Amino acid sequence: MNLIREIWQSIVRRDPLSTDKGKSELVFLNVWLHIHPAKVKKENMKFRHTFYLGFITFFLFLILLTTGIALMVYYRPYPAQAYQDMKDLQFAVFMGTFLRNMHRWAAHGMVVCVLLHMCRVFYTGSYKKPRQFNWVIGVLLLLVTLSLSFTGYLLPWDQLAYWAITVGTNIGSYAPLIGGQLRELLLGGHSVGEGALIRFYVLHVAVLPAAMILLTIVHFWRVRKDGGLSRPVWKLKGKQEGLVTIGAPTQAAALQATAASKDKTYGLMEVVTGKPIFETVTLEEEEDTVFSYPYAFVREAVALMATVTTIMTMSLFLNAPLEELANPAKTPNPAKAPWYFLGLQELVSHSAFLGGVVAPALMVLMLLAIPYLDRNPSRRPGDRKLILWLFTIFVAANLVLIVIGTFFRGPGWALVPPWVHVAAGAE
Amino acid sequence: MERRLQQLFFALSLLALALILAAGWQANTPSWKNYQRSFLQLEAQEEPNAITKAAVLATPPEIHQVLLPGLQRVDRCTTCHLGVEDPTMKSAPEPFRYHANLGPHVSAKFGCTICHGGQGLATDKESAHGKVAFWPNPLLSTDYIRASCGRCHKEGEVPGVPELTEGRHLFETQGCRGCHKLNGVGGSIGPDLTGEGANRRAPEWLERHFLAPNAVSAGSAMPNFHFTKEQARDLTYYMLSLTNEEMGSYFSSLRLIPSPEYGRQLFVEKNCISCHAIGGVGANTAPDLLGVTKRHSIEWLDEQLVNPELVYPGSAMPEYDLETNARKALVAYLASATAEDAQLILSKKARAMTPEDIAIEAGKQNFSRFGCVGCHGTELQGGVANPNAQGGEVPSLLHVSDDYTKDEVIAIIRNGRVPPLDNAAGPTPPLYMPSWKKVLSDEDINRIADYLWSKRQKAKDAW
Amino acid sequence: MNRREFFKISWGAVGIASLCSAVGVSLAAVVRFLMPSVFYEPPQSFKIGEPGDFPFGPPTFLVDEKIFVFRDRDKGFAVASAVCTHLGCTVAHFSSDQKFHCPCHGSVFAADGSVQHGPAPRALDWFEVTLARDGKLLVNKDKIVPPNYRLMV
Repeated sequence: MNLIREIWQSIVRRDPLSTDKGKSELVFLNVWLHIHPAKVKKENMKFRHTFYLGFITFFLFLILLTTGIALMVYYRPYPAQAYQDMKDLQFAVFMGTFLRNMHRWAAHGMVVCVLLHMCRVFYTGSYKKPRQFNWVIGVLLLLVTLSLSFTGYLLPWDQLAYWAITVGTNIGSYAPLIGGQLRELLLGGHSVGEGALIRFYVLHVAVLPAAMILLTIVHFWRVRKDGGLSRPVWKLKGKQEGLVTIGAPTQAAALQATAASKDKTYGLMEVVTGKPIFETVTLEEEEDTVFSYPYAFVREAVALMATVTTIMTMSLFLNAPLEELANPAKTPNPAKAPWYFLGLQELVSHSAFLGGVVAPALMVLMLLAIPYLDRNPSRRPGDRKLILWLFTIFVAANLVLIVIGTFFRGPGWALVPPWVHVAAGAE
Repeated sequence: MERRLQQLFFALSLLALALILAAGWQANTPSWKNYQRSFLQLEAQEEPNAITKAAVLATPPEIHQVLLPGLQRVDRCTTCHLGVEDPTMKSAPEPFRYHANLGPHVSAKFGCTICHGGQGLATDKESAHGKVAFWPNPLLSTDYIRASCGRCHKEGEVPGVPELTEGRHLFETQGCRGCHKLNGVGGSIGPDLTGEGANRRAPEWLERHFLAPNAVSAGSAMPNFHFTKEQARDLTYYMLSLTNEEMGSYFSSLRLIPSPEYGRQLFVEKNCISCHAIGGVGANTAPDLLGVTKRHSIEWLDEQLVNPELVYPGSAMPEYDLETNARKALVAYLASATAEDAQLILSKKARAMTPEDIAIEAGKQNFSRFGCVGCHGTELQGGVANPNAQGGEVPSLLHVSDDYTKDEVIAIIRNGRVPPLDNAAGPTPPLYMPSWKKVLSDEDINRIADYLWSKRQKAKDAW
Repeated sequence: MNRREFFKISWGAVGIASLCSAVGVSLAAVVRFLMPSVFYEPPQSFKIGEPGDFPFGPPTFLVDEKIFVFRDRDKGFAVASAVCTHLGCTVAHFSSDQKFHCPCHGSVFAADGSVQHGPAPRALDWFEVTLARDGKLLVNKDKIVPPNYRLMV
């Protein structure tokens, strides 16, 4: 018995969880959990502040990693075998359909959640100082997510995949100067073929997941360093704006001078940069502070299980599509890009250069520039009406374009409302 | 609140457990397992005692598949169709029934889908029968299955499928090549038919199309050839067999069925009767072939056909460069050849032909083979509708020698010609004379011209 | 314990327990997922032809299936593996001494497959051969039978 206790205590080296020390040690002595603070403010963890979209996106990524690796056992990234392997997964592999469905729906879910998360961060002004660069990392994560979805889209090697990627890479080729080269680099040739498939596969299973993981690490780290999950600071009673500062001790002194007598100022020592981050909290907030275990973890656990069970339920009842084998000689009419690029394809149908190059480039640049162009230090919605309206219009315009591209475009890219049935185009 | 959240976590975890169990159950109860159970019960009924019965019933369920790299497919049909090679299942209900008359086409070598169509990779009924969206090759109905024989057997007659031979014959003589390319030879007015069988058009569509092209393909310039229902079916069979697929060497070597009928065809084609006799009927420059298979072994005869000089040094018999199965077919014919048959062959041969006759005959063959008859008619009468062309139809060629010099006609055949418009502002006529210089050799074109000119002689003689 | 104590068990702990079962079942499902249901190899069970195709006397060697098919006038059919149990080379059967000789390292197997000489660790396998319902011989490499097994036809 003592041996068992000894073995256990050599693995689990913290105090029991019934003690405060144990609860803290669970977090900061554990390599997987120590990104969390040992204590959180209840206010930070409110569902309606963030809808846990960041967590959900991350959990979807974990689902994608695990189901993706499982699928790799049965999938060969060569045109002669890829489609057959998809059929084998559907018909001759135990739970092959279920796992593939999990992967597909988690992928679409992740794109949706990452976009919703971006909107939430924008609407709560959580990209403002000192979190500007984390917003930039977030935009990069968005691009990596879209790239992962795009590279994965080709792998089934069916008509849907082949032509969606043909359209997508052709849109990209309109980029000035580098467009043609970029397309050739991606395709390993002049058209989508075995070169494209293996390159997209390597991007999809190795390069892009690595980029995603590296960027995620930085993203989570910065959230911690920037003071944790954002919360509507202006709503707290008696709270003064701007009571978070990164600075030298003199500024800290200034901070202490301006804080109300019942406030406390904490300094989070940054050993690496030598610059302490000071935050002043009210006593109310102090009472609001609880241990991450179990307060934060149970919420994360519920978010995780909700995500997992939703994806599993979808996977039990909805099958991922698989059309005919890719046929370079036969273009389906219409040939559509994946849904998150359909807005772009709609623009491209009007002008290839404006829609394929200018619009996406401007969108990405504007997104990246937001935290630096927005000079308004306030996060209160009442003070930000203009920018909130602009962003809403931007989101709505994108939605409208995607809806048009999905439902209102038929053969020949003609405008055909979805309630009108068009017979499949004759060859 | 905390307790509520913990309860929610518990509930969701239970739900996750339930969902994974549901997914596992779904994956573990495919319909093919039920079919296998039913089949085992059928088999067990025939077992003599309880021990063997139990042994049979205890057979674990598994997916049966046939790997066919040469045919580039994998067939899993036998997962449910378990009685296909079991003669005791002659009267079993489907899907367990015995497949009679497979002959050499055993499932281990051929699978099922190469003949029947369907989706071999699938393991549930609807998907396997191919009657699902995005599988363009559903199960062929019994009316059309035999067309699949033509996917491998491309030469000679296929026993049991006269439709294929007739269809091929119709294609070559009705002028289809005039507008349609097949294996690189033909016109380009209509679509290339090289891989038509792989286009997966429903057989019923093809048949309706042959009976009335415009009813099925609106605006088509293809004339109505007034085929009978049988002819339409024959042509449909031939179209279905044109799958243009690459087959592994074993399968491509089977293209010829070494049947005595094919052997006779070769005997006539190669004109063996001009040196050999059968039972005294024929020439006497070379040995009499009656009963030759009783005097010599099959291997000896085969060697004789490959390399006549090896067996008879100084032999004047030419090397005919025949494929293995073609040689087998010839030998098969010789095994049963009679003097009466030799008489028949002799009588069909025309009188000795002059070089001009040969050229004109060759030109007539070309005119038919390359599809000119499709537009200009088997009697050179023309008459196929061509809206807005001058004259409104494809011209007759009976009097072409009156309106053109031979060189002009040769130039038109080589370079093609767009017909002059009736109404200059009207639409372009759908039919035109294609350019044949890339397809036909100059010699072939000259012979066609010789053939056309021979009609003038006949017309003049008629005066 | 009484009812009050029972309901004091934290829901979180129960949640963890059910999560662990879900994870456990998922792991089992993953293991089953990884086990192949179909094999992209020649089948272990296959037909070799009609009994009449095989001569009496010296065995017929089937090169793709790597088996020897013996046909004895009195006793019937037997099928032996042609794969040496040492390192997998294909053995040859000599009529002169009725033995199997392996060219790679000199193993010699007696007529019943037992090791007579050389580095082979165990005897050659004999496979079950039965008559299928269409009258053809059915060999099953998954069923090993003793050396004296014969199929009387």
